[in-house]
Amino acid sequence: MHIQELILRLQRFWADRGCLIGQPYDLEKGAGTMNPLTFFGALGPRPWNVAYVEPSRRPADGRYGENPFRVYKHLQMQVILKPSPARVQDLYIESLEAMGVDLRKHDLRFEEDNWEAPTLGAWGVGWQVMLDGMEISQFTYFQQVGGMDCRPVSAEITYGIERICMFLTGIDNIFDLTWGEVKTDDGVFPVSYRTVRQREEFELSAYSFEHADLELHWRMFEAFEQEGWRLLKDFGHFLSAYEQALKMSHTFNVLDARGAVSTTERPGIIKRVRDLTCACARAYVQNDEREQAMPDAAKGEGVTA
Amino acid sequence: MSETRSLLLEIHCEEIPARFLAPLSNEFADGFLAFVKDQLQVQLDVERFFSPRKLAWRIQGLPVAQADQTETQVGPPQRMCVDAQGQPVQTGLKFAEKWGVPFDQVRFEQPAGKKEPCAVVTLVRKGRPTLELLAEALPRLIASLHVPKAMRWGSSEFQFVRPIRNLLCLFGRDVVPFTLDSVTAGGATWGHRLFHMDHPAPVAVPGPEAYEAVLEAAGVVVSCPERRARLARQVTELAAAAGGRVVSDEHLLDTLAEIVETPTIIAGAFPESFLTLPKEVLVTSLAEHQKAFCVENAEGELLPAFLTAANRPDDPDGFLKSGNEWVLRARLYDARFFFDEDRKQPLIERSEKLKHLTFQRELGSYYDKTQRIAALSGALASSLGLDGTDGRLVAQACKCDLVTLMVGEFPELQGIMGGEYLRREQAHPKVWMAVKEHYQPLSADGPIPASDLGGILAIADKLDTVAGCFAIGQIPTGSKDPLALRRAGQGITRILFERGWNLNPLAIAALALEGIGDKATRPAKETLEALEGFFRDRVAHQLEQAGYPGPVRRSALAAGWTDLVDLKARCEALSAFADDPRFQSLAQSAKRIGNILKDEAPGPALDAGRLQEPEEKVLAGLLEGLETVGDQDRLLNSLAELAGPLEAFFNAVMVKCEEPALRAARLALLRRLQGAFLRVADFSLWQ
Repeated sequence: MHIQELILRLQRFWADRGCLIGQPYDLEKGAGTMNPLTFFGALGPRPWNVAYVEPSRRPADGRYGENPFRVYKHLQMQVILKPSPARVQDLYIESLEAMGVDLRKHDLRFEEDNWEAPTLGAWGVGWQVMLDGMEISQFTYFQQVGGMDCRPVSAEITYGIERICMFLTGIDNIFDLTWGEVKTDDGVFPVSYRTVRQREEFELSAYSFEHADLELHWRMFEAFEQEGWRLLKDFGHFLSAYEQALKMSHTFNVLDARGAVSTTERPGIIKRVRDLTCACARAYVQNDEREQAMPDAAKGEGVTA
Repeated sequence: MSETRSLLLEIHCEEIPARFLAPLSNEFADGFLAFVKDQLQVQLDVERFFSPRKLAWRIQGLPVAQADQTETQVGPPQRMCVDAQGQPVQTGLKFAEKWGVPFDQVRFEQPAGKKEPCAVVTLVRKGRPTLELLAEALPRLIASLHVPKAMRWGSSEFQFVRPIRNLLCLFGRDVVPFTLDSVTAGGATWGHRLFHMDHPAPVAVPGPEAYEAVLEAAGVVVSCPERRARLARQVTELAAAAGGRVVSDEHLLDTLAEIVETPTIIAGAFPESFLTLPKEVLVTSLAEHQKAFCVENAEGELLPAFLTAANRPDDPDGFLKSGNEWVLRARLYDARFFFDEDRKQPLIERSEKLKHLTFQRELGSYYDKTQRIAALSGALASSLGLDGTDGRLVAQACKCDLVTLMVGEFPELQGIMGGEYLRREQAHPKVWMAVKEHYQPLSADGPIPASDLGGILAIADKLDTVAGCFAIGQIPTGSKDPLALRRAGQGITRILFERGWNLNPLAIAALALEGIGDKATRPAKETLEALEGFFRDRVAHQLEQAGYPGPVRRSALAAGWTDLVDLKARCEALSAFADDPRFQSLAQSAKRIGNILKDEAPGPALDAGRLQEPEEKVLAGLLEGLETVGDQDRLLNSLAELAGPLEAFFNAVMVKCEEPALRAARLALLRRLQGAFLRVADFSLWQ
């Protein structure tokens, strides 16, 4: 099983079950939940099914491309189902079978793991899904996003692509995974995860642990914050303002990886990000309600039931 | 006895968090029993079942219907209801109409409290069928369960612990008809997921008694104790097969029994190279991350083997073993990374970093705390006459592991890692052991620090926390003790008590309070008063933990508790007399003495020459011996022998007699006796 084959299978599976196939959002972020397809998609009453791959950056997890299990950046496959269907666990199990897991021979468990994203004002309850003792997915029923109750509730499924791929292939080192195969006139060349990503891991780890200019990052944090509030307050633009909040969040993660944020400062910094994301969520919902209230003709291409 | 039947209710959910299973199971059972008692007037037992996806209860012996209830209604006087011929008039007819009975069922009787005969009807209220009552009550009882972290799902507003996917509810062979958030109760349920891969339909349960057998056939052992027993058996067997014995962890076994439906233990191995990690790291990492037991040999050394639970009966292709081994390698790789990284810097060099780690907002950083612990432990060592040479070093090092990667990952390894790192830095055994032990005791029956320095450090650390928090008004009340101060206080008391260290808890708390200095937000006098009550409760609890009988504890404590060495000696001595009838008599006499002296002002010293009766002269003669004997056992023997003479005294002598000088002498005698008693115990509390 190759990385790209796994992604393609999951995308095909969820497209066949009535999901839009989204794309990663082109800003640094710590988790697929931060993609606006999820953050805003989970708000308001519209039905919304979407699946996409999201590269997720965790500066503190960087290991210079030397640790076989931990990386600065990994791939998440994110699925949002709103409202959460009654068969959601069964659907998930079918997706494992689509990946080639024969559950007659494996041990599958759903163990409590409640999820909370303080910078997004979001929390939910759910499980980490364990296959033969390894966590392969997070499964969450969103209760709140952007500080607002989710009505209806979305189910979020997050697959750790590299982990699942390692598990399925029995490969002990993430960099030994095969990303895919390149076919040329001269033959077929398998390309490893190492080739695609190791240098990136090295440089990004070095950046977060050594080279990042902390003073600059503190200034950027402030600047993104001001920019975000300006966009939201002066223009009511919740999407561009939300981008600023995402940048704040990543900037904070870089500072945090360097140990530049003290435990006492931490909650305050997180709150500053949360204040902006929650304000964006409120603006989105207000805008959404206005649009819903408009006559059909003016709605343009809306979601149809 | 009327006909009875069994009720079976099962709520089938998506996986319920293990920690909620037992509380929800018990709460529903209590609520249901209250309902049964109220509506059906029977006292019954509930069988409780739960598994990751199921909460179920079975109650045997429920009557099929409520008993009929009769009630009597009294109406107007007879003279207003019938005429002289006994024919009904309007008032009488109306009364019958009101209660819906023909007039010939109206009787005329003189009820209690009435002066004349009145119209009376007896109404029979038919008892309702239990099936109907259940259909009404069960959805209400389920919906009103207290769910600590309730969730919504789909488009519904209904809240429960996890989404409800099926309801099974049988009263005998009848389905109890009710619906809860769009799920309608029926007579079938779902077994293990593995089972349903070949059986796509739910399995029918023919009756409440068949429940466990039907589920067992469908791959679910629905009794949690049964699952635990099966797991325990396999753990023992497989550990032996791996050439050792399991590193016992009852809590882990509880957890495993709660997270599987088909209880199976899988044995695996990890690379031997990881055995260079400290044992505690391996045990904790395996238990925390992989819910796995370690296996050790007869010498207590770990083997490169582990045991964990699976939720299926077998491992046909070895995937479970290899999967768990794979994950464990990744986890241990991480643990070794943390361990190697942490060791790149000597532990003590991290003390600067503690300046940025808040202990408590008002009380400053952990660095500040270690400074206070250093001063305090020095003072404690010198008052105990112990060597405090390394006290300062140990105090400064003891919190440094809080900023290591390993403790960041496994907070429960605090202290243990600090000790391990110091040991590997070739620190003196006294030093690393003290650091390693200073969080002890971790539980009421966990070990206390074995080394002197460890004990002193443990007391200084906990005392600083307790005194500091009291000084800023963070005092535990009722069930609220978020900072676990009672546990800390208990730890201090237990160490002093068991080590036999003669330190007055209040005196050392005052010392700790001085260290807190101007960080305190309330007056020292108030803090010390609060600490006095706090420590007295801790000492009382300690006596209970130590197993002394109630009369011994109560009476010994009341005669003074701040000298713990003396208190312990008195309790030991008193325990020998716990069942001695003479002490019962002594207790009676002590009470009488207390009552007599209660309202008396202190009088002159005893003038034995004034005493007249032989019974009182005997007592006076015994006094001096009582007051001078040093040995607790001999004192108690003397007191026991005093029981008879005291009884005789009270039978023969009237203390508050008319003659003032005699009366004063007798009161003085009693005062001296009371004083002698209180050297060991307040016997008036000996009951």
